[in-house]
Amino acid sequence: MLKKLVAVIAVLALLLALPALLSESMLNASVQMLIAALFATAFALLCGQAGMLSFGHAAYFGLGAFATVHAMNAFGGDGLLPTPLMPLAGAAIGLISGLGAGYFSTQRTGTYFAMITLALAELLHALAPHLKEVFGGEAGISSFRMPAWGFEFGSTIEIYYLVLGWTVLCIALLWGLTLTPFGRLVLGLRENSHRLKFLGYNTHALGTFVFALSAAFAGVAGALQALNIEAANYVVLETQVSTAVLLNTFIGGAKVFFGPAIGAAAMTFFGHVTSDLTRSWLLYQGIIFMLVMMYLPRGIVGEILARFRGEGGAVNPVAVLARFAGILVAAAGFVMAIELTQRFFSTDYKAARQAGGWPAVEFAGHMWAPFAPLTWALPIVLIAAGLGLVTFINRREARRQEAQI
Amino acid sequence: MSRDILVLDHLCKSFGPVEVTRDVNLVIREGERHALIGPNGAGKSTLFHLISGNYKPTSGSIRLDGDEIGGLDPARVNRRGLARSFQITNIFSGLSVAENLRLAVMRRYGLQFNFWRRVTHLRRVNAEVDDLLQKIRLTAKARSIAGDLPYSDQRSLEIGMTLASDPKVILLDEPMAGMSHEETEYTTDLIRDITAGRTLMIVEHDMDVIFTLADRITVLVYGEIIATGTPQQIRESARVKEAYLGEEAG
Repeated sequence: MLKKLVAVIAVLALLLALPALLSESMLNASVQMLIAALFATAFALLCGQAGMLSFGHAAYFGLGAFATVHAMNAFGGDGLLPTPLMPLAGAAIGLISGLGAGYFSTQRTGTYFAMITLALAELLHALAPHLKEVFGGEAGISSFRMPAWGFEFGSTIEIYYLVLGWTVLCIALLWGLTLTPFGRLVLGLRENSHRLKFLGYNTHALGTFVFALSAAFAGVAGALQALNIEAANYVVLETQVSTAVLLNTFIGGAKVFFGPAIGAAAMTFFGHVTSDLTRSWLLYQGIIFMLVMMYLPRGIVGEILARFRGEGGAVNPVAVLARFAGILVAAAGFVMAIELTQRFFSTDYKAARQAGGWPAVEFAGHMWAPFAPLTWALPIVLIAAGLGLVTFINRREARRQEAQI
Repeated sequence: MSRDILVLDHLCKSFGPVEVTRDVNLVIREGERHALIGPNGAGKSTLFHLISGNYKPTSGSIRLDGDEIGGLDPARVNRRGLARSFQITNIFSGLSVAENLRLAVMRRYGLQFNFWRRVTHLRRVNAEVDDLLQKIRLTAKARSIAGDLPYSDQRSLEIGMTLASDPKVILLDEPMAGMSHEETEYTTDLIRDITAGRTLMIVEHDMDVIFTLADRITVLVYGEIIATGTPQQIRESARVKEAYLGEEAG
């Protein structure tokens, strides 16, 4: 208990100190990481705790964003709804739309539930461009953050603290919820809703309400994004937003409370860094998701916690480091192969070939010719060496464990 | 003479053209242990599903303590005071044993939409959970994950959860299915213990269990009741012998 408290305080202190430590661009990335973390935690209430996989959470995130921009324009950041309280508009629209959508979708479970959430979100996404008054068409709608409570809300630092405050508050509320009777019933809903019914509970009302709460907190995340970029465009309603939160949640670990937040923050950071470096960053994101699902099915945080609890035997730190090194070497090989392939098949390369011949391309500070043996031999050797090392360590560890038994 | 707690009146259920329950009339008296037996496919489970709200009757009525419950959904039937267990273990496998019982107890305290109290601080609920744990003899395993328990312990937990809503009538659907001889004896003993002073309706194939546990027995064949009586009467009934012999010959 004390350890947990110390960890929470340490993380909070670090988050509070970040603006002093980071550049403007990294602070911007941090704002996005916080928003993604809140969105994923809200999503995981439904998907991880209640066991209902939604494919349409972009709808509630997006509605929260649009409601906030409208509220910003309507109130001018003053009066009833000053700028710092704007996310309440997102929460309200999320709650209301979540009650409606939840009422219908929770009448079914599993695949059918997922299909209904997907259909509702796609319906909204298809409808949005036609409702110019509400969603602003192609251009979207924009607004300005107005000063309130003695803050300008002009600088990144101020918006960072605003987003941090809301994210911490909302995640704390969601954590508190897991300790209440309702929070425990939500787990029961995931484990066995049929049994819950025969214990006298109204499972449909329970499902509708947990859906609405998840949507409300997703709405707050959308509101924070709208506050951050001072605009909303119907691309926030796209399927990609729904899938990104889903992938983030599972990469972190849907069933552990802080897993989704950490997964989302990590993947947002990864996107921020890699999207400047390579055009293939979405491919890497997909590969990471596949590898996590195959080898760490409980998510990164879930698996780490399981190891700490002592599942899967004692951890040998040397073996862990060696495996990690092996994975890094193999990853370097994969990245090189993918990047070179991407370059050789790009339109730029096609244009360069107009001049004749097969020119070399640049990667990692060197030039690589398409038909030079080293160009392809190096990645292959790296991949083989890395995977070989991991396999070797795995076998040695397996033998050691056998010997102990 | 005790009162009639559960009354089935001309109860019928058909699935399409197939009549599974045919004109069942049965009176369960308060405080009795009533066993339902019959060959496979006689409609015992269907009858339980009808009473517990899983199926809606095609016609006829089911009265619990004077109130009509036929056609109500399972949650409402439970709240009227009738709880059931299932033939296939039906628990919250991923949660702890105590948590399973707590979910079962909480309903009676109206704690479905409660966002402000901590479950660990619900004194009366948790006291009841401790009491139930003792009754089903799982106190030592309170914090184990239910799905990791041995089979017979899971069955005990299932019975404990059925008991948790403090029902007027308990339905147990084959609580000893798949148990070894020792486990069956243990569970029979447990059921006798915890249903003292309550009304029990039980479906079970093990005749030794039935004849030691039941006050009265009803025999169901092809959806119809062919006999109801004390174990002694049932043992001597010619119709019952015929039905069971017919089953063995066929």
